[in-house]
Formats: sequence, C-alpha cells, structure tokens
Amino acid sequence: MNTNQKSGLTRRDFIKSTALLGGCSVLASQMGILGTPSSAEAATTEEGNLYPLAQPENIIYTTCLQCTTACLVKVKLLNGVAMKIDGNPYSSTNLLPNLSYTLSPLVSSQVDGKSCCKGQAGVQTAYDPYRLRKVLKRVGPRGSGKWKSVPFDQAVQEIVHGGQLFEEIGEERNIQGIKDIAILRDAKLMSSMAKDVESIRSKKMTVQEFKSKYQDNLKYLIDPEHPDLGPKNNQFLFQVGRIHNGRIEFTRRFVKNALGSINWIEKTSICGQTSNKAWVASTNLFKEGKWTGGTKTVRPDWANTEFVLVVGTRVFEANYGPVQEAEPITDGIINGRLKLAVVDPQLSKVASKAWKWLPSKPGTDGALGLGLIRWILENNRFDKKYLQNANLAAANADMESTWSDSSYLVKIVNGRPEKFLRANEVKLGTENQFVVFFQGNFIAVDPNSTQKEIEGELFVTTQLEGIMLKSSLQLLKEEAFSRTLQEYADITGLAIQDIIDVAKEFTSHGKKAAVEFYRGAVKHTNGWYNAQALIALNFLIGNPNWEGGLAKPAGGWDYLGSSGHNKPYNVNKLHPGKLSAFGVPITREGWQYEESTLFKGYPALRPWYPFSGNVAQETWPSISDAYPYSMKIVLLHSHNPMYSLPGGSHQLKTLLDTSKVPLLIASDIIIGETSMYADYIFPDISYLEQWGTGQMPQHYRVKTSSVRQPVIAPLTETVVVNGEKLPICLETLMLAIAAEMGLSGFGQDGFDKGIDLKRPEDWYLKLVANIAYGDKAGEVVPDADQKELLLFQKSRRNLTDSLFNEEKWKSALKPEEWRKVVCVLNRGGRFESYDHAYSSNQEKYPFTGIMRFYLEEIGTSRHAMSGQYFWGHAVYDEITDSMGQPVPVDGDYKLITYKEVFGTQSRTIADYWLETDIANQNFVLLNSQDAKQLGLKNGDKVRLSSKSNPQGIQDLGNDRSRYVEGIVKIREGIRPGVVAVSTHYGHWAYGANDMEIDGVVIHGDSRRVKGTHVNPIFRLDDHLRGTTLSEPIGGSASFYDTWVKVLKV
Amino acid sequence: MPNDQEQEPNRDIKTHSNTKALKIGLGAIVGAALIAAEAKAKTEENLPDLNFPIPLTQDFPSDKIVLRMQRELQQALLKPEQQRKWAMVIDLRKCIGCHSCTVACQAENVLPPGVIYRPVTEQEGGVYPQVRLHFLPQPCMHCTIPPCTKVCPVAATYKRDDGVVVVDYTKCIGCQRCISVCPYGARSFDKGSYYTNSTPQHEPYESEPSFEYGGDWFRQPGSIKPPINKVRKCHFCLERIEAGMLPACVNTCLGRATYFGDLNNDTSLINGLIKSNSVMKLKEELKTGPNVYYLV
Repeated sequence: MNTNQKSGLTRRDFIKSTALLGGCSVLASQMGILGTPSSAEAATTEEGNLYPLAQPENIIYTTCLQCTTACLVKVKLLNGVAMKIDGNPYSSTNLLPNLSYTLSPLVSSQVDGKSCCKGQAGVQTAYDPYRLRKVLKRVGPRGSGKWKSVPFDQAVQEIVHGGQLFEEIGEERNIQGIKDIAILRDAKLMSSMAKDVESIRSKKMTVQEFKSKYQDNLKYLIDPEHPDLGPKNNQFLFQVGRIHNGRIEFTRRFVKNALGSINWIEKTSICGQTSNKAWVASTNLFKEGKWTGGTKTVRPDWANTEFVLVVGTRVFEANYGPVQEAEPITDGIINGRLKLAVVDPQLSKVASKAWKWLPSKPGTDGALGLGLIRWILENNRFDKKYLQNANLAAANADMESTWSDSSYLVKIVNGRPEKFLRANEVKLGTENQFVVFFQGNFIAVDPNSTQKEIEGELFVTTQLEGIMLKSSLQLLKEEAFSRTLQEYADITGLAIQDIIDVAKEFTSHGKKAAVEFYRGAVKHTNGWYNAQALIALNFLIGNPNWEGGLAKPAGGWDYLGSSGHNKPYNVNKLHPGKLSAFGVPITREGWQYEESTLFKGYPALRPWYPFSGNVAQETWPSISDAYPYSMKIVLLHSHNPMYSLPGGSHQLKTLLDTSKVPLLIASDIIIGETSMYADYIFPDISYLEQWGTGQMPQHYRVKTSSVRQPVIAPLTETVVVNGEKLPICLETLMLAIAAEMGLSGFGQDGFDKGIDLKRPEDWYLKLVANIAYGDKAGEVVPDADQKELLLFQKSRRNLTDSLFNEEKWKSALKPEEWRKVVCVLNRGGRFESYDHAYSSNQEKYPFTGIMRFYLEEIGTSRHAMSGQYFWGHAVYDEITDSMGQPVPVDGDYKLITYKEVFGTQSRTIADYWLETDIANQNFVLLNSQDAKQLGLKNGDKVRLSSKSNPQGIQDLGNDRSRYVEGIVKIREGIRPGVVAVSTHYGHWAYGANDMEIDGVVIHGDSRRVKGTHVNPIFRLDDHLRGTTLSEPIGGSASFYDTWVKVLKV
Repeated sequence: MPNDQEQEPNRDIKTHSNTKALKIGLGAIVGAALIAAEAKAKTEENLPDLNFPIPLTQDFPSDKIVLRMQRELQQALLKPEQQRKWAMVIDLRKCIGCHSCTVACQAENVLPPGVIYRPVTEQEGGVYPQVRLHFLPQPCMHCTIPPCTKVCPVAATYKRDDGVVVVDYTKCIGCQRCISVCPYGARSFDKGSYYTNSTPQHEPYESEPSFEYGGDWFRQPGSIKPPINKVRKCHFCLERIEAGMLPACVNTCLGRATYFGDLNNDTSLINGLIKSNSVMKLKEELKTGPNVYYLV
C-alpha cells in the first residue's frame, strides 16, 4: 500500500474515510432511495506513471450525446470513473487532420482531439446526483411528486397486463395493459390489411370491400368504418426525444415490428426539421417517375469557401456544431480566405466575426432571399451555364455533377402553377420525361440520361397545345420581381444597400460561396418557403459539390447491413414474425387528408402533415382531441415536451387527464419536467453507459461511422430478463415487455433460429460488425492484434458484468468477426482519412440529383385546415395560423430564443461547469433603446406575457404555478423591438424540485430553478386548442413568431 | 441491490513526491520507451509499460498546428529545464468564446466550485447597429517578474526554471496574500467545496485525484487535505507537459486560437506567430512581463 505523501492518507484510509462520511451524512438515507450505484469491480491503475489519464487502458472512445451533433469523444477513466472527455483524434470532426486508422490506440493515447464545453461536461450529466436507479411508481395524483420504488419485474407485469394499478391510492379505474392494446399479432393478417389499406388510400378499394374481406378480424381495428386508422395497436405511442441510430432501429423494431404500432414519433419538429426536409425535397432524385432520395444536411464546404451568408444559425454555438465548424471559419477569416455576412436579430458569436451583421426582423428570411434573388437575376449574376443544363449528360459535359429543374416547364392552370409538363402529355415522349424549351423547340428530357446533352432556356412563358407553360426559374423570377428591393428592405428591416452589397459579394466568388441556414430561418410558420429561397440562392451560383460550395456529409458505412455486399447482418430482415405496422399516425404525418377516409372537406379538425414526420407538437393536442383516434398508452422516452415544446405546458391538462392518457410510462435518466407527470418511470442509462451508432458528422466530407459504447459501469439497478443480467435501461425494458408478451424479434431466436436477441449487445455488436466489414470488397477493417485485444479487456476492467462480459459479447458475433469488431470499438468507430475529402476541386462524395426550384408535389397539395394550396416555389409569406390567417401584431416585442454554446434545451442543467459556472442563469435581453423606453435597467425583473398567455403564468399542475419572469440584461447587439431569451434555464423538475420517494423527501437543487423559461408564453394557434403555431409543410413548431409584452415587476 | 460500501476496492495509483514530479528529467527517456514497450508486450500477456512522453513518430500526421506544437514540446523536453521557456499565445481574432478551454481545465484539474484557472470573458462594445463582441481567455500570465511569488511567506509559490509559476501544495499555508497581489485575478482559494454538495449524493468525479504537478491529489468531502485550503492556479498543465502533451486548453480550443510552446526555440510555432502578428500583453504597464501573448 502506497502512502500518499501529500495527503498523508493511505489508500485504505481514504476508502474508509469516505465510507464513514457516507454513513454519518444526512444524505445517506437519500442515497438508498435513488439507490447506490451498482458496484464496480476492483480497479487498478497502472503504476509508475505520473499521468494516468494518458494511459491507453484508462481510455475508451465513444460518441457524445450532449447535443445531437454526435462528436467522437475520448473518455478518460480513473478507477472506472469518467474524469475527462476529449475529442477522439481518429475522427476528422475532432482533430484535423485525423490520425491514421491503422495507428494503434496503444500509441495514440497522448493525442487529444477537441471537444466543446458541453461535450466535456458530459461527466456531470452521467454523474447527476438525481439519476434514477430503480423503477418508480406514483403514489399520489400525476405530478404530485410522490413515488415509491417498485421491483422492475412487478412494474413490467403491471404495464403489460394492466388492471386496477392505482387502487391503493384510491383510483378505481381499470387500466388496459400493453397486451390489451397490441392485439393484432398475426404478421400475415397485418401485412394483408396493410396492403389493402394502401388500396383504400389510392381509391382502389372501398371501405365496404375491406370490411367484407376482413369481416372476422374487424375487432382488431380502431374503427372498422375507417380501416386506414389501423389496428388498435396504434393506440400505443412511443414518443422519443434525443435518440440516435442503432437505438432508433432497436426501438422501431419493438414499436412497429413487434408491438405493431405505427406511432413511433421523435421530437425532430422542434429541431431543424423543416430545414432538413426542404433540403431533401430540393435535392431529390427523379427515378421511375417519382421524386425520391435527396440529401438532408447539405452544408457549406467551410474549409474552402470564400463567402458564406449565414442566416439565423449560430454556427459557433449550436448548429451541427461548433467543434467541426469553428476552425475552418476562424482559419479562413484570419488567412483572408473567408468573408461572412450574418443575418440574425441578435449579434451571435459568429456574427462577431462577420464582415457584415444584418439584424433583420425575425421571420423575414424569405423576403431577404427573394430580394437577393431579384438582384442576382436582374444583374445577370447567376451561373447560366449550370442552370441551363437539363440532364445529367449536359451537366457532365460541363464537369458538373448536378443539374437543376430551372428550364423544366410547369403547367399553369387558372393562373396557378401545377405539375411539371410530362412529355407524353404533348406527345413528345414518355410520362417520365419533362419538357424544356430551347432555341424555338420543345424538347423532351429524360433527366438522368447520360447520352444526349439537353439544355433548356431559363425564362420561358409559352403555350403548347393549349397548355399555359412557364419554366421553373421563370416562376421564381416572377415571385422575386413581385416586390421591389425597397419593399424587401422594408419587410426585412435591412438597408437596401446592405442587401445589394451581400448579393454582390455572394456572386463574386464563383462557386466558392454558399448560403447556410438552420433553425433560425425555418422555425417560423413561413419557414419552408424561407428555406426554399435560401436554397435557391445556392443553386443560382451552381455551387453544389464544388470545393468551397455546397457539400453533403460523406456519411458512414451501412450499419444495418441492408446494402448487400458482404454484410454480416441485415438486422431488419433478421426478424421472424415481423409485423408491418400500418395506418394514419396520431400526428397524421405522411398522409394527405384527402386520401384518408376521414376526409370531410375543409377545415379538418386538425392539420395533416403529408410531407413531414415526427411532428412532436401535434401528439399531445391530438391525443386531447382524440383525432384521429384516442390513445391508450404512451411510453415517453428522453423527451420533455412540457419544457422543450413551444407552448408545451398548455397540454399539461392532457397529461394529467387519466381518461385521455390512461397509462403514461416514462423512460429517462432523471425525473424531468414531463416524466414527473408519469405513472411509472423506468430508469435509463446515460449516454456514457449506452450503445448506439451515432449520427454522421455534417461538416466533414470523409466517411465516419461513430460508435457509442458503454464506458462506465451502469448506474441503474441490475435485473434479470430472459435469464440475462442487465442494467435497467430502455433496451432492457423493451426486452422485458417482449419477453412477457412473447413478442417477435426479441429473446430466444429473436433474429433467427439459433440467433438470440437477449442483450443490448446482441443487437449493437451486429451493427458494429456491419461497419467493420465495410460497404464494398476489400473494405474490411484489420483484425485487432493480441495487444489490442488485451487493451480492449483492460480498458473495460471496471465495467460490471451486466454491461461487459467478454464471452457474452463474443457470442453475439461469429468468431471471425470478433477481432474486427474490437478494432472498431478500440477506436470508437470507423473513420476515413481527411486526405480523401476532395478530388479534382469537387467533393469526393457528391450528392446527386436535380436541384429543384419548383416542388410540384407540394404546389399541388392543400393545407388540411385552410384548404389553401401550398406554393411549389419560394415565396415570402406572412406569419399565419393553420387557417391561413395572418397572426396580428398582438404584443410590443418579437420574442426570439436561442441556445448558448454551453446549453441544450432541457438536458444540460445538471452540468454545473456550464449552467452554474459559465452563467448561473439566463436573462431577458433587449436593446438599450427599448430598455430606455420601458424605463428598465440591468438587473430589473420583468414579466413576459403574450396573447396566448396574457398573465404570463405557467401552470405546473396540482394548483401550483409561477410567473414567466426574468432579469433584464441590456445589450447593443440585438435589434430594437426584439427580446431574446435563451432556452436552458428555469427548470421545475430535472432535480430542481423536491420529490418524495418511499416516504423520504429528496430535496431539489435550487441552482436548477434559476433563470427564465419562456415556452409557456409562446403564441398558440387560435384554432388548435393549445398547440403552438406550426410550419405546415416541414412540420416545424414555430419558435420565433410570438409577440410579447414586457412588464416591469 | 448491489452495494459497494462494504467492499474494499484495490484502487492503487502510484504516488510520487512533489519534488520528484516537478524536477524529474523526463526528456532523457524519450525514444527508447516505445521500442522497449513493444518488445515487452510481445513476450507477456500484459500491456506495454508505456513511459511518457512517447515521441510522435512519422506515423502521426504532420499537421501545421496541434501536432506540430506537440512535437516541438517534446523536443523542448529533451533540453534541461532551464533552457526552455514555456509561453502561450492566444489569437483573439480566432477565439469564438466557446468556453471549451475553461471546462477542459476544470475537468483536467478536478477544480471545485469557485476555482477557475482559465475564465473567458465576453465584452460588448459600440452602439447598435455598430456593435462588436470580444472574448478574452485569461489563464495565469506566468509573469517574468511575478508579484505573487514575492509575497509568499513560506516560498510555496515560485517560478520554475522553465517559466511556469507553481504552487507547492505541501508548503502553502493558505494565507492568500498571493491572491490579493495578482493583478490578473489568476489565483483562487480552494475552500473545500463540491459541486454536488447539497444534492442527494456526492459524485465520484469530484473525489478522484487530479495529477497537478505530477502528484495525485484527492479531494474528498470532509477532508482538509491539500489542495483544499490551498491557493490554486493555472500551471500550463505541467503534468501533461511532462507527459509530452500540450495543456488541455490548447488541445480543445475549437477556434484554434490557443497556442503553446518554447520561446527559446526560434523556429517554434509560437515564436512565428509572435513575430508575424500584432501582439498585446495584459497590463504591460505593470511590468510583470506576462508570458501569455495575445494576437489582436
């Protein structure tokens, strides 16, 4: 035993003293309730080193989840405790240039990549004293904060079988369990019904025909008169917050293919969803007559670009994310390569480095885009050669990899643009060809043809066989020219000269320029069209795939094994008895109102979202309205709508109403602002204990497959499912429900005969194997050698048996796969060298497809409520509600929210290094001109209110409430008339409140209450009973369309 | 319910005397270490016994910034301590105010609440719409003539031969005179506080050791052992330097605004930056001779 000469303590003394202190502490009783961590095995750190954090056996590489960017990280451990998180130097996202993949982790441990402050503070997310260890069941009304711990097995029994689950607290109601909801379990029958519902949808089958075909099985349906609502299984909703690949597919397997519910809904409509969806649609491929594919995260090639117009996205603070974006930007600015113009009502950190800061009025980005487009068209500053290319052959002749729909002719019916003219309609060709006009001729275009180069004129207004026609770019031109530059300047609140200067600069760098935007531009009711205008600007200079222009992320290797070549496990196919969930989702996403049997003219009761998915703000109000059907059981995982959704707290009444949500189950690492209202909470493990295959980085153009893997021993209780010792977590919960109900695809022979799915790693290691084997011949990673195998074992010496048992891990794979999988795990994923990013001035991994100015499928669809047609091209639209009515100016200031670099929405309050040290609260930011008018000074307290919440009160349930109040900070760097509040303070759960568990009061942490939470005052849609305003195409919840009043208190 | 209270984990970290840690001439063992380690691993079911620093061979990228600096640092370690002079360069034009360095430093050095070695402050200037935003990271300046060392009654704080201003926790009596004379506010007192005080439980990341000055310093609730009740400050991550690594703030800097190296090496990256840019030091009028250079 060594003696610590500084402290005078021996190690033995040290351990004893902590135990003693623990025993005496008043906190000890509480520890028993939240539970003590499961025991780590005895640990030994290598002796003889001054700096153990550089020892390879004290390092495990994994993937961050502090925000959704999913950086690659290097976790340094001492005695099994995660102490320091750095960037993984094997990945170009975290070190540039990245280390060679073949470099042994035994020698690379001394090189640290970079990680942002959130990433590094992940230690405090994992070791949050408020982490849950055991299953909790409420012993008071929902939201009472009174809980008891219950054995995992008992809780699973209760939620599966139902019954009078809350009899002991006087609730007599009989609750249906999961087995009573997921009643259609016959895969063949479900698949047949699903097919026939598609026939009903396309009007090839009537409801009566369906009913007589399935007369013996109508009992499975929610409503036999509306078979398209699907089976009763759909009355189980899995609503999930931040979740990544691997876990996404695991949980979908459970929800959709084992339980048979269509309702697997993520929270992406509060993220940058409209931006992603608009990019996908605008970069679609055209295959066999259908628009398909597309790229969701097109980004500027920061490392080589010369000018970027950044619209409303804080690339140094949020976006996807500063770790990847900062260095190429700062480097470019210092070296004189790069110039930025930043459009943002607030002087963001990236704006502080810009050539021009353009503090526009919120929600006017479309007008700015059209103003720029107008100037560019008027002054012939667009890439005519690029735009005239009408097919792949023409593009290739110009060394381009993409082309656009600029010249494709659109039919104009009654003055309104409809679909593209197809060649067969004018007897020029087939139904899968478009038509362009060139040098006096109409020409049929097969867009994907590599044979015949076809060009088209850009600005065409003509007629053919009595059909009025305009080219796609002509439509955009007419829209852009419908207002003068001065009018655009007035709308945006910017100086006309600034708009001209930016347009000039943007078109002065050839293809080495780009427009970048994300949430700021799209989280408005007009966000879709704003996105289209900003995307169009990129296309006008022909920058796709060029070095310094637009680039797509290179993506990673196929982890699901569906791509064929040499893939060890096609996991989605490996599912005997797989169910095919069908029907209209609770959010009515992916369905046109008109194609459903619920269609009864306009307005529908609630909006439909044919072009979107995961419309999180629609779930609770739809449940409340039972539209299109009622919900019986909700499993809420890692999602906090009461905190994170604009106006989310207006649906608290739905959560509290046991008739609307009879069984509310949560799975989370803590008791959050929404899970606090649940009936049961199942603890989850944190991202440092979890598996996953991450997201792909968006800003580097080399292949990256990230792997998230257990780094620290699980903090949750160990339980036994299918005879396997597992930590309680989301996967364990699903495995246990599947075991209890005998669901397909899990447990013994879950994948196939002789291939079980009993442990999380049975799933995840197969994904890792798929990554290890690559996507084409010769792409297999090398085998880990003996030393690496040893390192693999040693670095996991502190993980408990429930998480890491080498023999069990091996048994998830075939013997020949093991060493390859270890190679990947030892590096935290698979990474291509950054040297491979470019080839001949173009991105090595280009996106292909047609750059679309005009989206015909959208231009021919109608809003389910207003009945109005959408536009297919960019327009400037006012802020409107679901009936298409403009939202009036019903307050004095426009409220915007934002994220600080040290916070995400609801999930960083446990990180004291961030939300206590960097700033211990947020502020109500306003310009000095406004402050003067209101008689406010720094430090004054103000109350914020809106039309939708005139008192500025947040209802917390059970007769508790609080005002939406905050402390004023006066800034110059904000547009007068705009009030800004950041979004990660002002908690009322997540460790902020007192709770009673097993009769013992656990006190909340007052540091977590501080600051202001403004979501309760967001502007609601007047027609939608407690739902935020929304963008109707991409499905985004509106974040920046609320007018507020500011009252000094 | 598993419970580790009763167990006696065999948690051993070899301890070292302060003197040994600070004075050891690690440069001498560079080079042979890796080869020896490889050889050992072949014959035993044990991991190679690595001795840091491990030189960055040509298998590592020859990048222009981080690995270049790390290589230069390892070169400097080969010299006697008095022949190297550590300094930091911070390019304020590239600082994006991300606070990554601040938090890296907190985690690296297991800092308690109230002790920050490297704050980053933000300052707004101008009047709307002509507004500027500046960020200023502020580590210890490791002054050439440090006011702090002079006032220490027990010579616990001193300037090393390589320029790093250190605190010997075994000697510091916690009188805090050095705190009051530091013109840069670079020193703070460790009051023995924990982030997870007043929560349901203390968390382990607060009581595992830091390796400042090459030691292993345990802080634990209820204890008054060093570094509790001692003065704490930035030491350029001496423990990392001596392992052949850059200070934590340098590696993690998102904007690549922070540089580190040996001023005595004419060809070092930091010397190049200092020579070719406009340079500022904080409070130069006090003639403390800061060794942190700001590029503006």
